[in-house]
Order: sequence, then structure tokens, then C-alpha cells
Amino acid sequence: MSQTDKSVRTGGDAPMTSVDMESIDAHEGGSPLAPAVLGRGIGLRLLTAIFLFSSAVTLLTTLFELYVDYRGQVQDIRDRFAEIEAGYLGSLGGSLWSLDVDQIQLQIEGIKRLPDMQYLEVREIGRNIKRRVLVSIGERGVGPVLTQEYPIVYAENKDKGAEQTIGILYVEATLSGVYSRLVDKAVVILISQGIKTFLVSMFILYIVYRLVTRHLVSIAQYVGSFNLSSSPALALIRRRPSQEDELDRMVGAFNDMSSGLRELYRELHEVNAELEEDIAARRKAEEEVTRLNAELEQRVRQRTADLEASNKELDAFTYSVSHDLRAPLRRIEGFGQILDNEYTAKLDERFHHYLERIRAGAHDMSEMIDSFLKLSRSTRSEITIERVNLSDLAAKVVARLREKEPQRSVAVIIAPDMITEGDRRLLESVMENLLGNAWKYSRHNKAAEISFSTEQAGDRTVYVVRDNGAGFDMNYLDRLFMPFCRLHRSEEFEGTGIGLATVLRILARHGGRIWGEGAIGKGATFRFTLWEGGEPDGKP
Amino acid sequence: MANHKILLVEDNPDDVELALHACQSNRIDADIIVARDGEEALEYLFCTGRHAGRTCKDIPSVMVLDLKLPGIGGLEVLRSLRQHPETRRIPVVILTSSEDEAHVVGGYELGVNSYIRKPAEFAAFTQIMSQLQRYWLVTNTAPPV
Repeated sequence: MSQTDKSVRTGGDAPMTSVDMESIDAHEGGSPLAPAVLGRGIGLRLLTAIFLFSSAVTLLTTLFELYVDYRGQVQDIRDRFAEIEAGYLGSLGGSLWSLDVDQIQLQIEGIKRLPDMQYLEVREIGRNIKRRVLVSIGERGVGPVLTQEYPIVYAENKDKGAEQTIGILYVEATLSGVYSRLVDKAVVILISQGIKTFLVSMFILYIVYRLVTRHLVSIAQYVGSFNLSSSPALALIRRRPSQEDELDRMVGAFNDMSSGLRELYRELHEVNAELEEDIAARRKAEEEVTRLNAELEQRVRQRTADLEASNKELDAFTYSVSHDLRAPLRRIEGFGQILDNEYTAKLDERFHHYLERIRAGAHDMSEMIDSFLKLSRSTRSEITIERVNLSDLAAKVVARLREKEPQRSVAVIIAPDMITEGDRRLLESVMENLLGNAWKYSRHNKAAEISFSTEQAGDRTVYVVRDNGAGFDMNYLDRLFMPFCRLHRSEEFEGTGIGLATVLRILARHGGRIWGEGAIGKGATFRFTLWEGGEPDGKP
Repeated sequence: MANHKILLVEDNPDDVELALHACQSNRIDADIIVARDGEEALEYLFCTGRHAGRTCKDIPSVMVLDLKLPGIGGLEVLRSLRQHPETRRIPVVILTSSEDEAHVVGGYELGVNSYIRKPAEFAAFTQIMSQLQRYWLVTNTAPPV
């Protein structure tokens, strides 16, 4: 900037400085301006225009002036020709008539002394003579000339009018003088006009510089380094004219514009600051949310892991407790058996009855432990996913049931090819429990019917196990799937109350649900689904 | 022919009594030696400690081994047995209430000859004990001493 500053300051002392407008255009946006140079700015163009126009006008006026001058001088020569006719022709006639050559010589010498006269000759005309040059003086035909021929007349008797042409006076006047005078004049005019034009141009240029250009330079300079936040208002360094001129109006307009911009800029700044605050607040909130989320996730993970661990522990505990309970039961059973086998004869009926109760109790407990272990296994064991035909599994289960109670006649309908994926052993356990229940609870119906089929609910397959047995009270629906909760007395229907709880757990591990409906004496219907959240990952 | 010897490793005295009762009802001539824990079983086999004075050449025809034992466990007893040339040919039957698959696999890895689960019913247990004796003492040819 200092370079430009300097050039602008020195511009006041050197009126020839002008702004390089093109470089302003090219350096829009405040790059340093090139120093103002006469050579490429308004100044030169103004100078050239003034000079060319002024020169053209000068040339035209000069030419006109010269033409007028030329005409005047040629007229002078013609006037001289007329003077010759009036003044010399009469006496020349007399001399020719008398053939006085010397006299003629003298006379035409006199004529030649007139300005611009270059050549003269006198020719005589006679009966046998055709235009013979009698006397000549000067040089003929050099340069541009004006010529005139005069008939030389002689009248013996002037009153009778018997005039006779006896010769011709031929005069050549040179135009060289005329021309050289014109050239001199032209040179003087051109030089003086040129000097005048140059001075006027310079003056105009200076005035333009003083009034306009230097202000343009400082404006360009100002605009170039314009900064919304720090630049003071634009002001021109000059004596203010009495009336506001175009520059003042421009400066005013610019200052209005910049103050408008400044206002806008300030508003923009405020809005920006608000936005920034807003963004910062949001970012902070987001970070907080992310942090809380992460914390929550971590907590959930921890809790889940804890829960899984304690679940596992509980399962392991359940398993080992149930397992360990078996050993003493087996002992009770063993010693009971020995008593029964070997001491029957020695003891009475009452003893028998109590022994029987002890052994029955041990047996029940053993059964309970077995189903407990099954329940535990249904959650503990690893799942192996494979293709399973539920229809086949159901048929197998029903066959076993029929084998156990061949005396019963139950109509069983199983829809064919119900194929899914899952753990074969666990799904078999599901079928065992559901069909086993259906089989068990339809015991008192002479025309027992059991069906296993599917329904479509949207794009989901729902498996349905239906019987027309004892049914259940819907009020106790929620207790149906709880372990060891039974809805029937054990004299009526035996069981441990763990079957449906096991089914629920197995289905949960297969991404499915189970729900039931029924009414007392009207049978029960159980519906279940598999893989509601999509097919299992570990496809075989 | 000397009496067959069965080494029964079982910690619970009731179970020992039941097992002995089951064996007696079979009328098969055999001495049943009871070791009440793993340590005693090894002492018997290697003729040390409580069984120091024993004729070591007199090895049992079969060892019936429970897995759940206080101190040295059943599988560890089996391992020690299989490590020594004098004892490694003794037929071993695991008789246990354990349903743990790892136990079954571990037993066979260590070269057990049979793995039997204790049934809940005493009648079934008696039958198994009978079969066991019949097979290992009569049907089976024991490794030479």
C-alpha cells in the first residue's frame, strides 16, 4: 500500500499522473493500484483526442485560408495582365508597326519588371508571316505559369476604324512566387496552431486532472483498500466548489452505500454471532446427548452383562441344585424298594401304606426335578439351527402318545410340511408339551380332536394347536406360562406345571411368541410364532 | 481261581450300602473293596497309605468309579491310573449321576471302558449292577496280571 500511497501523494505535485483504469478493473477487490501513469490513462486519450481534433480543424482552416490567399494572388496577376493591356499595348503597337526592335525590347523589359512576370515574347503577323517571334525576354515554360496573349493592333486612322492586327504579345507570369509565399504562410500557421493546440490540450488535461482524475485516483485507492469495519467515510481533498458537482454526488452516493453496507454488515455480524452461539449451544447439547447416550449404552451393556451373568449363575445353580436333589431321592427310592422287597412279610398294612406314600412322594419329586432340569436345559443348552419339519415332529410325538395310551381314540389332524428352522431337540420339546397337553386335557372327551396347522397373519406364519378338551379359565391366562402354576388339581390332570413355561422359553429363543385362548369345557387353542424378527443368522 | 475283586469308589455311605445290597442279590462271587474317596482309591491301587501292606499284584478285575468325590475327583483318579504301567490296563466303569457331557467326553478321553448313568429307580440300579458284574467278571476276559 505504501507504494500506491506515495504515488497518490506525489500525484498532487505532478499533474500528469492519471489512473490506470484497466488495472483498477483487473485488481478489483483492493489489491495495490499501479502508480498512475500518463501513458495509459484518460490523460493520454484526452490529449490525443484534443490534439487530433484540434489539428484537423487547424488544417482545414489553414487550407481554406491558403485557398483564399491563392485566389487573391492569382487575381493580382490577372489585374497586372489587364494593366499591361491598358498601359503597354498601344505603344507596343506603334513600335511593332515601325518595326523598332530596340523600342520593343525596352518596352517588354518594362513589362517584365512587373512582379511575377517570367517570359514575354512579341510575334509579328504579316501577309506572308505566320507568328514569327520577333523579340523575347526571360525563360519560357519553367514551373507553373499563367499565360496571356494579347493581339497587337495598329490603326492608321483611328477614326475610320481600320484596325489591323500586326502581332501578338505573349506573357507568361510565374506562380512559383505565389506558391512559395503560400508555403511560408502555411508553415507559420501550422507551427503557431500546433503550439496553441498543444498548450490548450495540456491546459485542459491539467484542468481535468485537477478536477477529476486525481480524485478518481484517490477514490480508486480508497475503494481498493476499502474495509467495512475500519475505513472512514470517503472524502475528497480539494476546495469545495460552491455548488455540489458530480464527484460530490458520487462520493455522497458511495458513502451512503458504504454506510448501508456497514449497517448490513453489522446486522450480519450480529446474526452470525447469534447463529454461532446457537450452533455452539447445539453442539454442546449434542455432545451432552452423545455422552449421555454412550453412558446409558454402557450402563445398559453392563446391566445386561450383569443380568446375563446372574441369569447364567441362576441357571447353573438351578441345574446343580436339581441335579444334587436327585441323589438323596434315589437313596430314598432304593431303601424303600429294599424295604418293600424284603420286609413286607414282617410288617403290617399301615407300614405298607406309609412306605407307599414315601415312595410316591419321592417319585413326584423326581418327576418335578426332571421337568425342572428340562426347563433349565431349554434356556441353557446351545441352539443348533437346522431345517425342521414340524409336521414330522408332531406326528412322531403323537405316535409316542398313542403308544403310551393305546386305549384312547383321538382324532389328530396335522397339516403337512410345516417347515421352519430351529433347534430340532427344543422344537420337539415344544411339540411334546403342546400336543401332550392337548392329549392330556382332552382325556375326558369321548370324541377328542386335536389339530396342528398354520394361519397366515400378514406375511407371518402362525402355528395353531387346538383341542376340544377341558379348556381353561381365561382369567388365569397369565398364570398359564408361569413355572409350577397349574390351573387343574393334580388328581384331575397330573403334571408339574412347567411344560408351557418351557415352551415359552424355547419359543423366545427362536424369536417367537405364544399365546392361548380357551374356555372351561370348550377346549383350548394355543398359537405360536417363530422368528418374528427375521430368519436366524446361523442358517445351516 | 481267586475271588474276583471289584474296587468300588463311592463317597456316600448310603450309596455304598445300596450298591453292596444290589451286588449281594446277584449271588456272584466277588470281593467288593470300597474306597471312600479318590485318595483312598489311589492308595489301594498303588499299595500305599492305608493299603500299604497289600499284595500289589492282586489287581481288581474292574473298578467302578463315581465322578463326584471329595478331594481327588473321579477323572483325576482315572488319569493317575492310566499313567502307570501296573494299573493302566484295569477296566474302569464310571457309574455316576452326572449328565454333564464334558464328563462323558473327559472319561472316554482318559480311556474309560464304560460310562453308566445311575438310574432313579432302585430296581433299575440293581439290574445295572447285576449286568455290570456279569459282564466284567464273567463275560469279559480280564487283562493278565
